[in-house]
Amino acid sequence: MAPRVGLRSLEKRRTLIDGVRSNIHVLMLGVKYFVNPRRMTLVYPREYPKLSEGYRGFIILKKEKCISCAACARICPSAAMKMIRVQEPDPKHPGKAKMKQYPVINYQRCIFCGYCVDVCPTEALYHVNYHDIVYDNLADMFWDLETFQREPEYKTAAEGRPVRIVIHEELGLVKVPVEDKA
Amino acid sequence: MSGEVRVYGGWRDDLGLRVIPSKRIGKDVYEVFIGPQHPGSGHMRIIIRVDGDVIVEADPDIGYVHRTMEKLGEIRGWIKPIPLFERMAIHDACNITLPYVRAVEKLMGVEAPLRAKYLRVLLCEINRIASHLYGFAIFSIFLGHSTMYMWAMGDREVFIQLAEELTGARLTHSYPIPGGVRRDIPQGFPDMARRAVRYMRKRLEEYRKMFLENPVIRSRLEGVGVIPKNLAAELGLVGPNARGSGIAYDVRIIEPYEVYDELDFEVPVYTEGDALARTYVRVEEIAQSLRIIEQVVDWLEKKPREPIVDESIYKKYPPLHKKILESQGRAKLLPWMATMKVPAGAAIGRGETGRGEIIYYVESDGGVNPYRVRIVTPSARNVIAFKYALPGHRVMDLPAIYGSLDYFPPEADR
Amino acid sequence: MAVHEALAAIIGWPPIWQVLIIGFIGSLVVSIFAVWFERKAAARVQRRLGPYWASPRLGGLLHLIADLARYAFQYPIIPRRVDVVPFLAAPIAGLIIALLPLAVIPFTSNPSYWPLPPAAMEYSLLIALAIATLPPIFIIAAGWASNNPFAVIGGVREAFIIVAYELIAILGFLGAAAAVGSFNLVEIVAAQEGFKWLILLNPIAFLAVFIAIVMSTSAFPFEIPESEAEVVAGPFTEYSGILYALNMGGAYMRRFVLAILTVLAFLGGWQPLTPGEGLLWGYILPSIVVVAKAVVIVLAISFLRAVYGRYRLDQALDMAWKILLPLALAGIALGLIEASIGVV
Repeated sequence: MAPRVGLRSLEKRRTLIDGVRSNIHVLMLGVKYFVNPRRMTLVYPREYPKLSEGYRGFIILKKEKCISCAACARICPSAAMKMIRVQEPDPKHPGKAKMKQYPVINYQRCIFCGYCVDVCPTEALYHVNYHDIVYDNLADMFWDLETFQREPEYKTAAEGRPVRIVIHEELGLVKVPVEDKA
Repeated sequence: MSGEVRVYGGWRDDLGLRVIPSKRIGKDVYEVFIGPQHPGSGHMRIIIRVDGDVIVEADPDIGYVHRTMEKLGEIRGWIKPIPLFERMAIHDACNITLPYVRAVEKLMGVEAPLRAKYLRVLLCEINRIASHLYGFAIFSIFLGHSTMYMWAMGDREVFIQLAEELTGARLTHSYPIPGGVRRDIPQGFPDMARRAVRYMRKRLEEYRKMFLENPVIRSRLEGVGVIPKNLAAELGLVGPNARGSGIAYDVRIIEPYEVYDELDFEVPVYTEGDALARTYVRVEEIAQSLRIIEQVVDWLEKKPREPIVDESIYKKYPPLHKKILESQGRAKLLPWMATMKVPAGAAIGRGETGRGEIIYYVESDGGVNPYRVRIVTPSARNVIAFKYALPGHRVMDLPAIYGSLDYFPPEADR
Repeated sequence: MAVHEALAAIIGWPPIWQVLIIGFIGSLVVSIFAVWFERKAAARVQRRLGPYWASPRLGGLLHLIADLARYAFQYPIIPRRVDVVPFLAAPIAGLIIALLPLAVIPFTSNPSYWPLPPAAMEYSLLIALAIATLPPIFIIAAGWASNNPFAVIGGVREAFIIVAYELIAILGFLGAAAAVGSFNLVEIVAAQEGFKWLILLNPIAFLAVFIAIVMSTSAFPFEIPESEAEVVAGPFTEYSGILYALNMGGAYMRRFVLAILTVLAFLGGWQPLTPGEGLLWGYILPSIVVVAKAVVIVLAISFLRAVYGRYRLDQALDMAWKILLPLALAGIALGLIEASIGVV
């Protein structure tokens, strides 16, 4: 079992009859699909794909798990993630405040590589399985700490019908409606 | 015309290589700048000089989408360039980053475990099919065959779907990391992959009828843009373009990496050297990649799951990471990877992308950044073929030759 | 005589009526429908949806109306370096002349609705063909006036193609004329009485004519002058707005007019209907039959886009001179043989 070279050569110049035959093949194949189109189109946003759980969509922070190690900000290839300092009550000394660092994200820069999620030692970051969210202005794409903890509203889900895209042996991709709109 | 002899097509025998000076415009020669803002040029400019309807000179003018990949690679550590280098050819992301990862692995002295190697090969072949289908689509629309364009783009979606299930991203997978890969196959993936393989086999038959044996397309491609074997060798073409000219050169055979030497597949080679032969090489390669996917998926299903990162990295995993790897099949990165230091030295990574051989020369001075990353992409090596394949052909052959060379400017300009 | 009566009389005069109503408005509707069908048929073969969002229930039919409106209200840019008068005149003149053959084509056997006096009807096929070969000149003029390398190359390609297809179209139609022994379209239609349609009797000539129409109106696989991959939009590269729409629509209108001519010569014209007396039975119904048959031809040509790429210019010319010209000549010979043994 090893790769090997397969030397081949093309068919030689064909006769007129071959030409006529292949013309007929082409036209028949065209008519076959014209009659039975086997469409693949996803009528987005009336239907939207329900992506798998492992999809690398928007990244959300679970603040209570964050240990302020800044690994996510350091590994971010596009410098989308930055650490900010916030003041919050110190659990050990009630009544006193302490400074703590948390990551925030700039979705103008994020490339959804998921390095931050994978590098987080406490699993404080996770992906949601959607990514198609439109912002009215660029400033909204800077997420502050509050926004970073909430999953963004998935507006497509309000308008459309979720479908799961399944690989099919005959039709390529088929759309299977998903019942729950969660 | 100042009485000089023009050589249309063919090439001189005495020197072997025809010399084409770039400034030789006669009065009856019409200069046409095709691109970069042109529906049929891609992100580049081709300056052609036509005498009547015949191209006498062609100059590919590259550099329009130059993005300083090599320089950017020097300032962001060792692991962050992976998503960057993907941007050279996003539809071929795994193939194009794997040699870099392998070069870094050589410097670090780590090696991916066997399962990770199979996973890498799996994604590489999925990418190769997607890349060929993409090139095929562009090629078809160049020839005005919009149906094949849509078909190839639509069927590419099947393989993008596969890659998405595997890695979580449609195109920029950032999948291989030094020492392994980032994810194991999800539940139900082998069956999905087998269905995709069976589907694509059926579709290749229809492609043959609709496109390859379509009399219009055949007459457009047969005998067009012939690059003879010795010219192809002299110009240093790589990938399907070289294999279409009868040169059996494929890194997967010359210097098998990962687990390619354990797999059973053929590297198709055609001797004609024309546009049709190059097209057939790609179609055959899709068929062979399907075979590889089947074998790899069988192996992955049969063998028990094991860590998909190198032992030296796995040793350092905290229990949480080990649990995630077991339950979700997701290999976590370790925080030191962001700013890791790689022992000084130099390494070369070679790999076969969809368009041909890619070479990374990675040099480390022991610091947190690569000292130098030199990238030689396949398209950068193939672009010279324009200058030699175009002259002597008609203007209408330009898209046929361009498409058959599957030249991809963002990859060549880096 | 009041003004409106005079106007009605002018419009009611068959040549004007045919050019304006069947020609302009009819072909506008037909070309909108043909473009829609072309997109929709290609989409079906290509496993897509095609035009959809403009009117989901109509299958996106209104999309084309929206396109037309967009072209109509788009600012037509006239580049500084063009030759303004021919640049503006070419698309308009090309369109008008493309429709002119309709001024001589009869849509009925009832002499009171013929566009020409009966004596001139004797040569209606020849006159129609002579006018039908004019519009490509304006495409060349449009390319030349644009002063743009792509437009010039596209215009030159159009010129090459005219030379090739014109002869084939004329010879193909002569095959029909030879079989019947007349240039009178009414007589040619009358000779096809009882489903002795010339497409069945003389398929060779029909094939030649069909391919010549495909070639002349630059449909696939002969979409060579406007070949997007090398020459952008060919002769129309510098056009924008309504002028571009006129150019592109002109091809579809020309296709429609030539299809009408083909219907009369090969597909039995207004048969199986026999025109009677009165406006309805004598003129309107027969012309609807003719137009409906012509639409079928136009749609068949549109379908070719879904399955073919485009030929190279020299291959198209090669095919025209080496295959189609002998085919057209064989069509004439077949017509003559059929005439001599009295089949027709």
